[in-house]
Amino acid sequence: MQGLSSIGSQLIDLCSALLLLTCFAIVAQRRLSACVDLFALQSAVLFVTAALVAYLTKSHHIYIAAGLTGVIKVIVIPRVLKKVIDHLNVKRELVMHVNVPTGLLICGGLVMLAFFIAQPIIPLGPLLTRDSLAIALAIVLIGLFTMIARQQAVSQLVGFLVLENGLFLGATAATYGMPLVVELGVFFDVLIATLIAGIYTNRLQDAFNSVDTDQLTILKE
Amino acid sequence: MLLTIALIAAQTTVLLAVSPFLVGLIRKVKARLQLRRGASLIQPYADLIKLFRKQPVISTTTSWIFTATPYIVFASILTAGLLVPTFISQTPMNFAGNIIVLVYLLALGTFFLMLAGLDAGSAFGGMGSSREAIVASLTEPAMILAIFAIALTNGSTNVSTIVHKTALMEDIVTDPSPHLMALAALFIVALAETGRVPVDNPATHLELTMIHEAMVLEYSGRYLALLEWAAGLKLAVFLSLIANVFAPWGIATTITPAAIGIGLLAYVVKTAALAAFIGVIECMFAKLRLFRVTDLLGVAFILALLGLLFFYTLRS
Repeated sequence: MQGLSSIGSQLIDLCSALLLLTCFAIVAQRRLSACVDLFALQSAVLFVTAALVAYLTKSHHIYIAAGLTGVIKVIVIPRVLKKVIDHLNVKRELVMHVNVPTGLLICGGLVMLAFFIAQPIIPLGPLLTRDSLAIALAIVLIGLFTMIARQQAVSQLVGFLVLENGLFLGATAATYGMPLVVELGVFFDVLIATLIAGIYTNRLQDAFNSVDTDQLTILKE
Repeated sequence: MLLTIALIAAQTTVLLAVSPFLVGLIRKVKARLQLRRGASLIQPYADLIKLFRKQPVISTTTSWIFTATPYIVFASILTAGLLVPTFISQTPMNFAGNIIVLVYLLALGTFFLMLAGLDAGSAFGGMGSSREAIVASLTEPAMILAIFAIALTNGSTNVSTIVHKTALMEDIVTDPSPHLMALAALFIVALAETGRVPVDNPATHLELTMIHEAMVLEYSGRYLALLEWAAGLKLAVFLSLIANVFAPWGIATTITPAAIGIGLLAYVVKTAALAAFIGVIECMFAKLRLFRVTDLLGVAFILALLGLLFFYTLRS
């Protein structure tokens, strides 16, 4: 039994590391549709992680959360985003405030920051794994960074979704899932936020003929 | 003593025999995914035999570097291959050098290939050498850091010791994160170093894209055969390294006929699986623009660095 749970926690660690890997791929990726595909891949890994946690802790409500991740984040949201992208004229290279190598270095720094912040917290609670909490924090920070570093609305949305994935990983790995009602609320929120941001992006495209959010700063009354 | 020599000979034979097969397999997988039938798996062997029979043509403007390079490249990569465990975890040559020697033996071959590209004085050769220099200078730090991350988790820089310990699961730090980061970094480095698709396209002679092909453009006959074979060997060395360091399943840890048989089979299956995966990647991705290659190798560098730092943060 001890052996099984230690293999299980190693598998969760492995999945968390895979999640971090997909984060870096998203930061380095310049093409919008590929970013969305990578987000779908990340969500699929998150689905596996959540299912593993559910199996190891035998808490059934996490299965429901994992299933919702599978349906909403792997299938529905990427489809919505793909539809939005189809409507836009920016399919090729993304515009960023920092170039890719600098962005990667900053993300590396953020990961280290997350590890040092999480280091004193980890021994305090009975955690399944040692590093998934730190990785969850790192994913949240990278998601935030993506939102800041990219100029276009859709890629900022991808950053938001990555951030949310990090929060979900943190919630499942550290506290074995939030109450189901909260979980459902969060999923509903994310779905609606994506839909609204999608519509909003289309409106931006119609109004400015571009989805560069920097242009919003020149709006005056 | 006799056994050691026999094992060295066996490993050399395996490496030489497997490398054209891996090249052929990648081409075959690519062809099948593009709904072509593709050349047969023994085609690279036939190509090598044909090239060895042809008379080489050497430009009169070249120096001794041009004729010496194929032998230097071939010998350095083959020596590097003898340091990497293939079917047996304790390679007979493991006293000769560790993983850092391996990296710089490969770099020696690259260096002479760049010189040879410049030597003939053709525009393409110089262009290829210049590009190879960019790629090589970016892959080296990533590769060294990835290798250090692995070496730290195993407490040794000797590839044989690393593989042997991992295969027997003895006193290693079992944290998957540093390993996964190092694996991803090393895989990107392998793609770049062996001239595979996101960095270089081995199937084209289009002047805008070629790197490795541009450097060997002036070669013909047995020199070209040696260089092609060396390129295949380099692929085999990288795939053996990745397969045996990260997944040493089935590798022979003792010298018994049964263990060696299983080890050989496992080796061929693992490297073939990796080669097929590279074939799939070549179909899925387009070649990157030359100045975007830095992004890809930047990812490799950051991942390797994180792997290294994870080791320390997880240890403390």
